[in-house]
Amino acid sequence: MCWQTADMTATTPIIAAAAAVDAVKTYGSGDAAVTALDHVSVEFAPGKFTAIMGPSGSGKSTLMHCLAGLDELTSGEVTIGDTELSTLNDRQLTELRRTQVGFIFQSFNLIPTLTAEENIVLPLTLGGRKGDRQWIDTVIDTVGLRDRLSHRPNELSGGQQQRVAVARALASQPTIIFADEPTGNLDSNSGGEILAFMRRAVDEFGQTIVMVTHDANAAATADRILFLNDGQIVHDMSEPTADKVLDMMKSIGN
Amino acid sequence: MFRLVLRGVRAHLGRLILTLISVVVGVAFVSGSFVLADSLRTIFDQVSEDAFAGVDAQIRAVEGEINSSSADIARFSDDVIDVVADLPEAAYVEGGIFSFEKAYTIDAAGEVVRPTGPPVFTGSWDGPSPVSSFRIIDGAPPRGQQVVLDPVQATAGGFSVGDEITISLPTGDPERFTLSGTIDFGEGGTGGAYFILFDLPTTQRVLGLDGLVDSIVVAAADGVSPEQLVEAITPVLPDNLEAVTGDVVIGEQQESFGSFISIFGNVLLGFAVVVLFVSTFIIHNTFATLVGQRTRQFGLLRSIGASASQIRRMVLIEASGVGVAASVLGLLGGLGVASLLKQLFSAGGGEFPDGPLEIRSRTIIVVVIVGMVVTLVSALLPAIKAARVTPLEAFRSGGRRERSATFRVVSGSAVLAPGLVLMAIGMFGNAGGTASRLGVLGVGGALTFIGVSMLSAMFAGPVASAIGAPIARLRGVPGSIARGNASRNPQRTSATATALMIGLALISGVAVLTQSILDTFDEILSESISADLFIFESNQGLEFSGVLVDQLGAIDDVDQVSGFATIEVLIDGEPRSATGFDSSTGTSVVNMGVIDGTAEVGQDGIALLDDRASELGINVGDLVSVEFEDGYRTDLTVRGIFDDAAVVESDWLLDRELTRTHTITDDVAFIGLTYVDGADPIATRAAVEEVASAFPQLSVQDNTEFQEEAQGQIAQLQIVITGLLVLCLVVAFFGIVNTMALAVLERTREIGLLRAVGMTRRQLQSSVRWEAAIISLFGALLGVALGLLLGSAAVIAIPDSFVRTIGIPWGQLVAYIILGGILGVIAAWFPARRAARLDVLDAISTD
Repeated sequence: MCWQTADMTATTPIIAAAAAVDAVKTYGSGDAAVTALDHVSVEFAPGKFTAIMGPSGSGKSTLMHCLAGLDELTSGEVTIGDTELSTLNDRQLTELRRTQVGFIFQSFNLIPTLTAEENIVLPLTLGGRKGDRQWIDTVIDTVGLRDRLSHRPNELSGGQQQRVAVARALASQPTIIFADEPTGNLDSNSGGEILAFMRRAVDEFGQTIVMVTHDANAAATADRILFLNDGQIVHDMSEPTADKVLDMMKSIGN
Repeated sequence: MFRLVLRGVRAHLGRLILTLISVVVGVAFVSGSFVLADSLRTIFDQVSEDAFAGVDAQIRAVEGEINSSSADIARFSDDVIDVVADLPEAAYVEGGIFSFEKAYTIDAAGEVVRPTGPPVFTGSWDGPSPVSSFRIIDGAPPRGQQVVLDPVQATAGGFSVGDEITISLPTGDPERFTLSGTIDFGEGGTGGAYFILFDLPTTQRVLGLDGLVDSIVVAAADGVSPEQLVEAITPVLPDNLEAVTGDVVIGEQQESFGSFISIFGNVLLGFAVVVLFVSTFIIHNTFATLVGQRTRQFGLLRSIGASASQIRRMVLIEASGVGVAASVLGLLGGLGVASLLKQLFSAGGGEFPDGPLEIRSRTIIVVVIVGMVVTLVSALLPAIKAARVTPLEAFRSGGRRERSATFRVVSGSAVLAPGLVLMAIGMFGNAGGTASRLGVLGVGGALTFIGVSMLSAMFAGPVASAIGAPIARLRGVPGSIARGNASRNPQRTSATATALMIGLALISGVAVLTQSILDTFDEILSESISADLFIFESNQGLEFSGVLVDQLGAIDDVDQVSGFATIEVLIDGEPRSATGFDSSTGTSVVNMGVIDGTAEVGQDGIALLDDRASELGINVGDLVSVEFEDGYRTDLTVRGIFDDAAVVESDWLLDRELTRTHTITDDVAFIGLTYVDGADPIATRAAVEEVASAFPQLSVQDNTEFQEEAQGQIAQLQIVITGLLVLCLVVAFFGIVNTMALAVLERTREIGLLRAVGMTRRQLQSSVRWEAAIISLFGALLGVALGLLLGSAAVIAIPDSFVRTIGIPWGQLVAYIILGGILGVIAAWFPARRAARLDVLDAISTD
């Protein structure tokens, strides 16, 4: 689609979907201070699927939270599109989340009192928008939820719930989607499906996705993998395979 | 977003309904107070209009500086009737005289016929006339030795028209009258009051008021307006009389009924406010819990683009829904409350006239505002807290962040401290009257409640744990689990306990006040009364004829006897309430605590209370000028100064020989007497009762009986007040149900786990109930402790002449604490059952 032009101009300077420059995040102070991000600089190209991996406590979740404007950096800069996040107040951040950022959570996080369809369009209705109906229909068909639209979350399987969550993230056509262990609570079949949907969103719709995961197979579906350890990016891998990922994980573990 | 709220409301419907109930109870009480007061006002307005329907003008005494001693209005000579009748403008003139609780019909068994509560009127009626408000039902108007009664009284006494009946009279000699007919007042109904009506001369004779009337009503001749009639009458009246139009009389009558109804309505409103105050804690608690439970959901909404103000609005819209529903239900409930109160008071003998219940638009507006404001204010803090939820919360699992302990201590103390200061000002401050001191005390009390409630979260954990310790020991595992659960969320424990705390604090405060009044009363009796017998009208403390004093004095074995009359006089130009008593004998009946001179003032002397003496700089031997209601003025020598006005209830003492000469009626409030040394008490008492039986309204009592009767009356008052305060407990009850239901829901998984590892349904149920019991006992303990404080503070704030000893009804207080625990167990019934019925597998797989 329109985003696919990005691939052709990959060699020329373009605006990244999101970027961090010299990002530092420390928790606590004095002796108890913990550095979660240690001068991290990274760019996420539009229309790419990036995975972030690393052992527990490596700072991968913190990086994602800061990139998404959910948490504030101690120093450094984060941009989404051409917007520098530290300059935004709460209202502007809310507006940014509403229009430019999508989330997929490990635990689905659907509103139990709303139907699947209502959950999907929630980011739009919160902003008082109707959204692009044609686009929403495309998304619904892509994730195969057409016959489940009027169901409540507790009437859906885990995989179906997560498909609703993927559709919700896509519905507002955000600049970037952040996924936090999206397959963590799913069996391998459902997990595979969700990854396939995310892959299709990138390939067919040119969506930018950043995914935090522990799972080598999941990470291998991405275009690029960032490995974090002790708050720093220790490796940046393109065209990953499961084997390459496992080797890398082992080397970090050692 | 609205849909989101709507769905949320539907999902939490059960919980919101429980919250709703607590608001509805308070709102219904507000609405009921208005509805009842408005309805009564309309009814009494109509009664007043009916009563004076044909009256164009009324002639009455000008209100003087001294109001007559009794509740009777000022009387004047009936000569005026003929003078006014001669005027061409007057078509019909009728003089009348009325009094109440002076004469009674006696039935065949010799028992007095009287209603409990409403008064018995004795008055004149010359038969149907353009100005009369009575209507004959049966028979004929009374002439001479004839009487007419209302039908209720006639039925109660078993009297038929034509019967000869005995009527006790204030002259002391009962007489026989023929019942010539029965009458009705206005459009019907006497509001429970009894009427005994004679013709005018007979009424004047039996009341001992020959030649006197208290009002003359006039109907205008054709073509003469009421105003013209008044203009024509005024010149022929002596200076002490005035003429007013019928409309003026109706207006005044309505106003006086109205102000009584307003007081009545305001008292009810006061209770409603207390109930609403308690409700706010329940509503706040529910919304705080609902918000806490949905922290993650709010976080999610924030992360997908909801703004903080949208979240806040969501909670407030939900609260508005509750507020609107509560207002509507409360408004309707108010009708129920009003008719229930009406029935309650009717059952108490106060029979209200019939009439429709009225909802004025003012009631609707006030009720809706009250319902909305109370709910929104209660939900405001939770709403703000919800808006503070960060989007990151969506990534966390569970876990609520609590306000820091320091914040709670600081803010709790910031409320408690001024509360205690205000209470101290109310107790010891000198400014203002008793009412304003009690007002300050009340505000201080309310702040203290809030402060203690905020601070109680600090110690709710350890205290609940301590209360639970014996339960854990006795009840084994369920007991330990109950104890642990009760102390694990101190904030919720304290919030739930607060409503119960306030309810029980008020109830036990009233209990302390009641006990203190009784103790004070006992003290007064033992210190101030040396009489062997007391004679008084026990129903309403009304005055009765002083003739009885002389009759009792004539009994052989009666030694000293004194009547005590309360009168209004001008002393050195100031209107004062004074007591006229038989000063040569009275000091051996009542001990006034004379500290200087003597209380045997004689006809040219006066005694006064020490406080008054120092205030006015009066000493024994000084002269004061005294003016009586008949205009007689004299200088009296101050003979003594006393310090105990508990029995005589006025600051000035005069001789009754002097006071009876210068008042129109020789009435006394009570009589005290002593036996001759060595007299047979039983025989003497029988002789006294024989003489007093001519006044069937009177009670003859010794100290012990007097005490018991007072106890009975005060206890009755306590029951009424406590009955109204029980509404607070109702609200608190639903609060506990709510909290326990929430707790069970939150712990579904945990409950499943307990069941999975072998806990029986019964054990589970028992643990939930014990948890509620512990929380309730915590609230009850706090409440009773605060009640002690509040009650004692009130005793100190109220003047010593009314209550001066702090009495603590330990038995009652312990009972209230136990009651609190039982209330908790009952409230936990359904939540406990629900917990026990959870399917083990489902429960475990819940996240």
